[in-house]
Amino acid sequence: MLATPWICRSCLSRIARPLFRRHIRFQTTGAHTKSIPPALLTRARDIASAHQQLTDKLSDGFDTRAAKKLGEYSPIVNALGEWDKANESVTELTSLIHDSATDAELRSLASDDLSETRTQLAKASQSLITSLVPVHPFAHLPCLLEIRPGAGGSEAAIFAGDLFRMYQAFCNRNGFRTNLVKYENVNGTTEAGVPLSEAILEVENDNAYGVFRSEAGVHRVQRVPATETKGRTHTSAVSVHVLPSLQENSAAEQDFDDPESDYYIDLKEVKLEVMRASGAGGQHVNKTESAVRLTHIPTNTVVSMQDSRSQHKNKEKAWALLRARIAQSRREKREEEMANMRRSVIGVAKMGRGDKVRTYNWGQQRVTDHRSGTTVHDLDDVMEGGQTLENVMESVRGWLMERDVEALIADDDGTK
Amino acid sequence: MPRIPTALVRKAHAIDAFLPALLAPCRDMHAAQNELRWLREHVDKVAKARRARGDVLAKGALLQKLVKQRASGKPLQYLLGTEYFGNLVIGCRPGVLIPRADTAASITHLVGLLRNAQSIPPELRILDLCTGTGCIPLLVQHELYSARKDVDLRVLGVDISSKALKLSNDNLQRLRKGRNYVDRGKVQFIKADVLIDPFTDQMEGSMSLKAALNYKSQPPFWDILISNPPYISPSAYWKTTARSVRGFEPKLALVPPPTAKKNDTEQGDMFYPRLLEIARDVEAKVVLLEVADVEQALRVAQHARHLGIFDGVEIWREQPDASTEDAIEDDFAIVGNGNARSVLCWRGAGTLWLGKSATIPQEDDAQCLFRASECHFYGGAVRPGGSSHLDAQFDRKAFFGFPETPTLKR
Repeated sequence: MLATPWICRSCLSRIARPLFRRHIRFQTTGAHTKSIPPALLTRARDIASAHQQLTDKLSDGFDTRAAKKLGEYSPIVNALGEWDKANESVTELTSLIHDSATDAELRSLASDDLSETRTQLAKASQSLITSLVPVHPFAHLPCLLEIRPGAGGSEAAIFAGDLFRMYQAFCNRNGFRTNLVKYENVNGTTEAGVPLSEAILEVENDNAYGVFRSEAGVHRVQRVPATETKGRTHTSAVSVHVLPSLQENSAAEQDFDDPESDYYIDLKEVKLEVMRASGAGGQHVNKTESAVRLTHIPTNTVVSMQDSRSQHKNKEKAWALLRARIAQSRREKREEEMANMRRSVIGVAKMGRGDKVRTYNWGQQRVTDHRSGTTVHDLDDVMEGGQTLENVMESVRGWLMERDVEALIADDDGTK
Repeated sequence: MPRIPTALVRKAHAIDAFLPALLAPCRDMHAAQNELRWLREHVDKVAKARRARGDVLAKGALLQKLVKQRASGKPLQYLLGTEYFGNLVIGCRPGVLIPRADTAASITHLVGLLRNAQSIPPELRILDLCTGTGCIPLLVQHELYSARKDVDLRVLGVDISSKALKLSNDNLQRLRKGRNYVDRGKVQFIKADVLIDPFTDQMEGSMSLKAALNYKSQPPFWDILISNPPYISPSAYWKTTARSVRGFEPKLALVPPPTAKKNDTEQGDMFYPRLLEIARDVEAKVVLLEVADVEQALRVAQHARHLGIFDGVEIWREQPDASTEDAIEDDFAIVGNGNARSVLCWRGAGTLWLGKSATIPQEDDAQCLFRASECHFYGGAVRPGGSSHLDAQFDRKAFFGFPETPTLKR
């Protein structure tokens, strides 16, 4: 008999459960492609043959365009060569193992080698895919991060401020140079500590757009707000826009005059309005109003700037912002067209502005990215812009790359 | 002026306790918020500078003082001590007119035209009369040197006020710091009274422009003449100027000095005949004069045409670079957007610098001068370009020695 006359229910149920919970991974993100999709492989082979032709052509005489193209192709060709080599040795080793004529010693040696060669093959195919995926055309540019509160009232504004500080901390930690283009709290002043109504942060490093591209979208927060008295959890949203930024000293300056470029704006299509005092003007008034408003007439995009006392500076800032916005909208339009074309081929979940991309849950101390399916539990580190945030962003970048690969394959299928 | 609604005052107070006071001079919530922000930034800057010297400053008290002064109507530019002119920062002090954004727009546009000119003399001489803070010479220098390396500039600013001269020299020193092109060319400021006629008996006090140029060993001839003279008539001074202008900016820089036997409009225009005479005497090829409104612009343009030395006259609005269709009024092209702000005259080589096509066939300078004096004789009754008897005689015989045309009866 037991020493005790009864056992409580909770202890009984504890016995029924296993001592350690098994971790089951329901969703996987690290789906490493061991084999290369055939479409991609044929594309690589086409490029390799083109590369060969170009090399022959260049041996006869120099041609700048051909040389540039050769430079673009050569990483792909190298990766393909490596993949071919690894693939060949794998097939050779397998045939050796399966051949009954081989003696036992050789077979064991071959099986030892096989696992190593397999990892080599996986690595080679990974690098082949990466080299084939086109780099985002704006990835090398600096970027503008625009943070605005969405649904959720003042709590959304508070969280917008938190997000703003998170990105600032992230930039500080990773050595990104930043420049505050606009900071306005709900009172219309720049005082810190009051809920945010709009902030635009410029990350001045090259490649910043490539790094922060993954952040665009609606960020959702679930927590008990500071303003809540009854302890209920609220769900609010903050929208983050990431635009490639074009500064005067950036590499793409010459694109301003190129009508093909996304950043080209016909000066005649922009209406410049300077806020002026009504009435006589000139010596009659000494206005301090320096606001500048630019309207791009075809798209009806309006940008107004009044931060600086200098009209000249306001004008420069407004132009930079207008160019960035228009380039972004043009690119989105182009991407939309391409996505419509692809949609019939594969079900790409297009990342629209409307869908939430990430959730920050204070109650469970977790951050989940809905695109890559990554969940991390170190919320504080994320909000401080630490390594955990970098991990999340990295996973999204991986996800974006996979989408690009899928799209590339779809393109190839579509053209066939 | 309409009263500010109580609701707006209450709303301003909810945002910031200082805002309602600033609503009085600004009349508008956005402007008041901006001004408060700039005042705060200024106070922070001052406090930082003081801290660097090991001094402490009560920020709140300083801000309160500044807001109180601003509420009384004192221009923000005087409180902060600076104003932006184009992309220059120009120092401002009470007693000297604050540079206006409209002036900067005209100057920038003029220099923009000169930038593209093919045949500019190796030393371009620019005379700025009634210079005030010295903003025009400094902006011209900045804009031209940032675009052209092949021109040397010589810019002279002239003003009657010693306060203005002191400030303009300070501004020159301030901009000289940290710029490399200031050592090229010359910017100078001298004191002279533009209105004094050099041929009348010299009175006590300031020198005439001609005497001052001699005395300071400046060249007698200049290529471009720019001026933003006092142009407000006494009645407009009381009717149209803003309260902070009337209360705090020098009347000397706004209204021409009172003279007997002149009506209100004539007194407002008092400077222009004299400025155009100076332009003729220094042989200026391009003249840019700021004016109050379209009526004054037309009066000045008419006068310039009557003088008969210019090949073309044009009126610019506040934004001369805005691309709108040119209006024509009284045969004068009006360029740009907004209120009429300046009158541009050109002749001879100036036509090419500005990229204009000559509207009147090119004539000899001496001939023009002759005709101009003729105009004076007949009280401006003879229009230039109309061929009077005297004119025809002068043309053929005295100067060119053309054969007499048979149609001309003598």
